Parts: sequence; structure tokens; C-alpha cells
Amino acid sequence: MSVANDLAVPVGTGLGLSPARARLARNLAIFGTIVVLWEAASRLGLIDPLFLPAPSAIVAAFVSLYVTVGNAWYHLGITLVEVFAGFFAGSALGIGLAILVGLNATLRRFMKPYIIVLEATPRIAVGPIIIAALGFGWTSKIAIVMLVCFFAPFVNTLSGMLSVNEDAREMFRSLGASKWQVFRKLMLPDAMPMIMAGLRLAMASALSGALVAEFISANEGMGVLLKRYTSTLNMDATFACLLTLTALGFLIFRSMELIDERLVFWRSDARAAAVGRRRANAFRSAAIARGA
Amino acid sequence: MNSIAIDRSSAAARPVPARPRVVGGVSAGETVIEARGVTKTFGDGSVVALEGASFEAKKGEFISLVGPSGCGKSTLLRIISGLIPKTGGSLSVHGREVTEPRSDIGMMFQKATLLEWRTAIENVLLPTELQRRVTADDKRRAAELLHMVGLKDFEFAFPRQLSGGMQQRVALARLLQTGADILLLDEPFGALDEFTRERLNVELMRVVAEVGGTTFFVTHNIQEAIFLADRVMVMTPRPGRLAKIVDVPFERPRDLSIQQSPEFNALVSEVRDVLGGH
Ligand SMILES: Nc1ncnc2c1ncn2[C@@H]1O[C@H](COP(=O)(O)OP(=O)(O)OP(=O)(O)O)[C@@H](O)[C@H]1O
Ligand SMILES: [Mg+2]
Repeated sequence: MSVANDLAVPVGTGLGLSPARARLARNLAIFGTIVVLWEAASRLGLIDPLFLPAPSAIVAAFVSLYVTVGNAWYHLGITLVEVFAGFFAGSALGIGLAILVGLNATLRRFMKPYIIVLEATPRIAVGPIIIAALGFGWTSKIAIVMLVCFFAPFVNTLSGMLSVNEDAREMFRSLGASKWQVFRKLMLPDAMPMIMAGLRLAMASALSGALVAEFISANEGMGVLLKRYTSTLNMDATFACLLTLTALGFLIFRSMELIDERLVFWRSDARAAAVGRRRANAFRSAAIARGA
Repeated sequence: MNSIAIDRSSAAARPVPARPRVVGGVSAGETVIEARGVTKTFGDGSVVALEGASFEAKKGEFISLVGPSGCGKSTLLRIISGLIPKTGGSLSVHGREVTEPRSDIGMMFQKATLLEWRTAIENVLLPTELQRRVTADDKRRAAELLHMVGLKDFEFAFPRQLSGGMQQRVALARLLQTGADILLLDEPFGALDEFTRERLNVELMRVVAEVGGTTFFVTHNIQEAIFLADRVMVMTPRPGRLAKIVDVPFERPRDLSIQQSPEFNALVSEVRDVLGGH
């Protein structure tokens, strides 16, 4: 940290850049240096291209995959459909079931042993069975992603709903709230941070789930493409696929983080303050519109 | 503290709320609560939390409940609020037997239990929202109440941005927003430091007088109980019993300085004697 700061000062002050820009410039410089050294080492034959291809070769593979030949788009699309359809269906099922179980103590007692058994079963081990049942197409992949995305939202939603503060429940009861109002205005928002944490876990495993499902047995998707290029020792294209998936994983992670921040704004001082200001403005303009 | 009185004319112009508000029309001194031998046992009847409590409360009266831990103060309040059923005796509020939570009876707890995803004013509006559609008038009323409890510029603050004392003020405003005229407060400021508590007590006295509520106030502190109340119900434990009701003759509102007077200290000893016998 201190070394990094020592580096930042001359860069920032020397070129008259803001600290944030100076940091960006420094990071780009470091990245550029690594790429140049890597390229040089590859050209000098110091790195086995079967182990790690040269940057220029990976870039060329990217161009081929996405521009000149353009065959990766189709597979990327298939994988995206599997990931998102599986995620939405799986987590909706998980949250919905958790709400039912959370609201009904009898159902909860009845379901508990099954939930424990299912939770103890490694999800991906069920993959081959699902493929056997549903075939090699993308429906079986969606089913596998659903399975992978079911449990975290289910478990988190359920424990979020059951951990609602007893005092708050009593307060709602003393105000004559109906069961539905207790659910809608207390349990659901109170469980929201837990639900979002479950969704983030589910989304993080959705991509891996889809890829593993494709590895098991499939004709299309990024997992198939990756496996095909590795088996033909086309490492340039393999790395281009891998980097695509890295970027996809990062985008998914960041978007979930942003959604989380928006939905559970009250957990952060800065966001709470911003939302408070917005509501104050809405309230005032409504008052002005009424002519008050 | 800025004490802005509620504009009575605007209060009268408001559409009739779903919750009955007994403000005018009823002669002061009317009995609004009547308890005869109220008893509560837990479990198989072996734990007697409250035994044969009989008392009355008149409209606008401020009644304190003191007593050691476990003497049944919370139990009594929860029975009056309709949150738990009694196992014996009778209890009527406004002439109707209490069997479940009612809109004319409001309760405030030791913890503020604000909803952390709602701003202060949205928290205050919760009781209305649970009954019917919130109108512009309800919002104005909620803002007035926040003003009244000294939170004029904090309508749009979230609970995490408020101190413990401010959160209890929001809870008090929320209690008043219910429109209930029977106000049950179970150690409402018990978790706060003494300085804040003393200040809030004085404001509480003013605020409940302003809305004309009949108040039950639970506390462990004898001075506080006497200072706030028209009457002090002294309770003793094992089994929980209403041992004595002490009249406090001072005019309300009161100044903190009365606590130094000999009459006040005589009352303190009177209460202490009842409690000391146990
Ligand atoms: N749900 C319950 N089940 C069994 N016993 C209970 C229950 N609630 C209260 N009690 C018992 O009833 C008695 C009175 O309890 P209560 O909470 O009314 O006391 P309290 O005067 O409010 O005490 P504190 O000052 O500590 O708040 C206690 O002995 C307590 O153990
Ligand atoms: Mg208590």
C-alpha cells in the first residue's frame, strides 16, 4: 500500500492529474508492461505457447471468434440463455417456496427432513441424471442451473423470514395488522438483505453450473466451445473463450452488487442519505402540486 | 424544545379518521378504563404473573406503574392493550371488554422497533397505512407530530441516521398517529441515558396532555413515576399484585424543581415503604 502510494505521487503530481486518474494511469502502465514482457518472452520462445499463448495470438483469436468468423456469438448466446433462464426460474422457485414454508409452520415441520436431505446432496452430481432425463439440449442445462440456483435463495429467504424481530411482530399486532400486511410490510423487507445475499450466491454459481453442465454433455454453449478448442490444442482460442467468461463473470458480479445496493439501500449511509433526499423532494413537490 | 401546539382547527377540518378520537364532547373525569380482579397465569396456572388487579382510570389521567422486575407490569399493560388474553377478571376500555388489539388503544415498547427501510415520517405513517389509504392530510398530521416531538428537520431521515433518543421520539409520534386515546408505554425510555430520559419525560408529559390521552407509564424509577403521574400504581412481585395506588397532588404540567420539595419526598418514601415491605 505504501509502495503503491509512493509510486502514485510522482505520477500524479508530475503530469498534473487527479489522484483517481493517476491511479488509473499507473495501473494501465503496469498492465501494459506485463503484456509487453509477456509478448517478448513468447516471441523469444521462453513460454510454451501450448501452456500460455502470446497476447497477440489471443487477440487474433478474439478477432476470429467474434469478428471474422464470428462463431462464438451463438455459443455465448446459448450459455447466457441457460444462465439467466436457470437463474430466474431456480431462484424464483427457491424464494417462492421459502415464503410458503416461512408462512406456514405445519408445512415447515413436514418439509424439513426433505430439505436437509436435498441440501446435503452435491448439486452437480445430479447433473448427469438430469441430462439423462431431459436430453443433451439446452433444456437440461437450464434445469441444472435451476438446481444450482435454487438452494441459496431458498435457505436465505427462509432464515430471513424466520429471523424477523419478535418485538416488531408484536408492534404490528398491536396496530391490528393482517397476516398479509405483516408479510408485505415487515417480513419481506426485513428479509430483503438475506434474500439478496442468496441471489448473489446463486448468480455466482449459475455461470459455473451452466459450464459444468455443458462439459458433462452438450452440443452448444461456451463450455462446448472451450472443450472443443482445448481438445484440438487450439490454445489461442481457448484463452479467448476463457477471457470472455471472465468478463461475463465480472459483469454479472458487478450488476448483482449494484442491484443489491439499490434494493437494500438502508444498509449504507451514503445510499440511505441519497434516498432520504429523493423522498423529501418527492414529498415537497407533491405538497406544492396540492397548493399547500 | 420547540413545542408547536397542534392546530386544533386543522385537526377539526380533517376527515373523520377510521380510528375514533375522543378529543372533545366527552366530559373530563369520565372513567375510560375499568379493571376488576384482572388475573393472568402462565403455563398450567402455576406461574401467577398478575393476581386480582382492580383499578379505574379517568380520561386524560397519567398513571405510572412502578415495581421490581417480574411483578407483572408488562403483563398488565399487554392485557390492557389486548395483546395477550387475561385468565380471570374483567377489563373494559370505553365500556367495551378488551379481547384483542384495538384502534383506541396504542402501545409503545422499550425498543423503538422502527422499520429501518422507512424514513421517520414513513414510520409514523405506518399505523394509518395498516388501516386505510394514506391521504395528504395524514401526511401533514404525521409531519406535525414529528414536529411536536422535536424532530422537525428529520422527517426524511432513516432510523440508522437517528440516535436512540430520536428513534424513541419517532416511536412516540407513531403512537400518537394511531389516534388512540389510551396510551400504554412500557419503559419507553428505559434504554436511554438519564439525561435524555429526563428531557423526554418532560416532553412526554406535555405531548400527552396536548392530545388529551389517558396514559399508563411503566418505569423502575420511583422519582420518575411520581414526577410524571396523577396516580402511581405500586406493584409487588410473587405473585404480581397491585399493592397500592398513590395520589400525586401536584398540578400538571410540572417543573423538574418540584422533585426537591418535601411533599415530593414524602411521596417517594410512601412508595418506597410499600416496595420495601417486600
Ligand atoms: N410468556 C410468559 N410465559 C411464562 N411466564 C411469563 C411470560 N411472560 C411473563 N411471565 C412471568 O410473569 C411474571 C411477570 O412478568 P412481567 O414481564 O409482566 O414483569 P415486569 O414487571 O414487566 O418485569 P420487568 O420490570 O423486568 O419488565 C414474571 O414472573 C415472568 O416470568
Ligand atoms: Mg416489563
